[in-house]
Amino acid sequence: MELRSLRSRRKADFWGKVLPYLPYVFQSGVAVLMLLLLIAFSAWYTAFLQNIPPGLPIRWILLVLWGPLTVYAGFRTYAQPADVIFLLPQETKITTYLTPAFRNGLIYKLIGLYIVVLLAWPLYQRSGEGGAIQPLWLMLLALLLLKALSAYGAWQELRITTSRARAGYRFLRWCFVLLMTAAWIWQPAWKSALFTVLVSLNYALILRFPMKHKVPWDNLITAERSAAARVMLVLGWFVDVPAEGQKVIRRRWLSGIGNRIPWKPTDAYRYLLVKTFVRSELLGIVMRLTLLGMVLAGWNNKSWLGPAIYLLFVFLAGTQLASLRQAHRDSPAASYYPLPVGARKAAALRLCSRLLFAMTVLLWLPMAVIPGGDAALTFGSLAAGLLLAFGMRSSWARKWNEEEEE
Amino acid sequence: MSGSELPVLQVEELSGGYSLGRPVLHEISFEVKPGEMVGLIGLNGAGKSTTMKHILGLMAPHRGEILISGHTRSEAPEAYQSQLAFVPESPLLYEELTVREHLEFAARAYGVEPGAYQERADRLLKLFHMEEKADSLSAHLSKGMKQKVMIMCAFVARPPLYIIDEPFLGLDPLGIRSLLDFMLEMKQSGASILLSSHILSTIENYCDRFIVLHRGKVLAQGTLADIGEQAQASGASLEQIFYALVKDGE
Repeated sequence: MELRSLRSRRKADFWGKVLPYLPYVFQSGVAVLMLLLLIAFSAWYTAFLQNIPPGLPIRWILLVLWGPLTVYAGFRTYAQPADVIFLLPQETKITTYLTPAFRNGLIYKLIGLYIVVLLAWPLYQRSGEGGAIQPLWLMLLALLLLKALSAYGAWQELRITTSRARAGYRFLRWCFVLLMTAAWIWQPAWKSALFTVLVSLNYALILRFPMKHKVPWDNLITAERSAAARVMLVLGWFVDVPAEGQKVIRRRWLSGIGNRIPWKPTDAYRYLLVKTFVRSELLGIVMRLTLLGMVLAGWNNKSWLGPAIYLLFVFLAGTQLASLRQAHRDSPAASYYPLPVGARKAAALRLCSRLLFAMTVLLWLPMAVIPGGDAALTFGSLAAGLLLAFGMRSSWARKWNEEEEE
Repeated sequence: MSGSELPVLQVEELSGGYSLGRPVLHEISFEVKPGEMVGLIGLNGAGKSTTMKHILGLMAPHRGEILISGHTRSEAPEAYQSQLAFVPESPLLYEELTVREHLEFAARAYGVEPGAYQERADRLLKLFHMEEKADSLSAHLSKGMKQKVMIMCAFVARPPLYIIDEPFLGLDPLGIRSLLDFMLEMKQSGASILLSSHILSTIENYCDRFIVLHRGKVLAQGTLADIGEQAQASGASLEQIFYALVKDGE
């Protein structure tokens, strides 16, 4: 089969599996809630733009918003393990297969970046003193070049043979691209351009040093597996989908967690689930969400917005934690071990609810600690947060019981 | 081993398969007694793995019964499952767990005491030359090493019955030797083993009895001498007997 059409067919197969879930996503309450949040955000943002608080560190906010989106690069190659047998012999012609992956990865992510840039542009125009203001076309062009450079770097990283060097170069790319983005946000065009050219040349030169594969088959297959699993993970926030194939991160510093779980067959699955959570992408997502929620809720603790943000983050945390229920659900391995009936559900419910209650309190702490907040509003928020967490726990228990009975 | 002992595993007139209309297994019956190692042999597609899946409870019989220590799975599912450990043909591991954590998970699930677990885990890791990999995630292991982890998980549990499907695939010569020695040790301590393998010359010297499956039916079963007689090839090697039986069964 022609390589280009093979990729198209694989792409169609993958999205053919995902698309049937979309009606369920729209039917789920979460999707409606997201829509309402979008409307609420639009109203809030319009009002916010008209009354920007003096001294707001706008350029720093823009760096936080634009920087990671500029650096972020990922490619859907739809590579499969069998490719090392069947496509490897065609390695010299593989460019026709991989080029669309690189191009599409860049284009789709650029669209996302541009939407955020355009949304935040009115904010940038009001950033006032403390730096230059670029024209919109120039900023879009600069970000396009930086994104292309980051995508090129990410592609080269995939080709690097050792994982240690790959991690090092990834760190370097984040530093370089963030620095260049910062230059374009703060500095005049000529200085930013000069800085970008010099840093890019250095970066391109440094990228030549490490030993690389011609086509990094194993890395492509692993990256594809993680990317596909991430799509399913996001889908899993709305509907029940298999959660296999997600990226596993070693996290040696957390290896001890779970070791003190009681040594009983009834708690064996809990041991597996805790270890799984500790090494999952979900832990990273939940940590980032908690930090963001703490900052936003704490920052707005003087108005009704603080509690609203707080409750939203409690809800989002709960929605994401519930995906732990899907972990190993379809794995036949668990059938080989004598796990007591209901142990899997009990372990998932226990872990999800404990984590949710911990996050409910953590998210609330900045509201309580940062001075200036209204006491009734602060403690009322905690009560509402705990109530919401209890509600979510009850809903999980009911739903998962029904599933077990089926 | 006495003939009056209650078999650990009894398969009675089992018919089963993936769809009701097309059974893969046709009324097969056999048993495995305590301290016995039984070889389940047959061509590809003969029904060996399907038989094992039925024993494990992963597939429901169309007809017939499977008893472990006198109980069916529907009578006492947890007790039934805790009586056996399974080593599948293709290793199935949790990518999130290290080698040592797999052993610990298996020990916890089977209710092995922590002290006994530690002692068994240390011994198995040494025996299978996996000490250096003990703290590696399973995703970073070779296929042979993954197979060793599956084998170690079964042996750390020490149930009365082991169901082992093609254990030698991917194992290095030292691994094969360690496995055979350990199986003998388990057998001597009273455990029973139902083992499927295509490496007939190896299992010939280790198994007490053999069950020859062909197209979902038991062609012959018994000791090497018994099946030799049934194949009219007394004194021949297992490979020759198997060839004679299967050729006649065609």
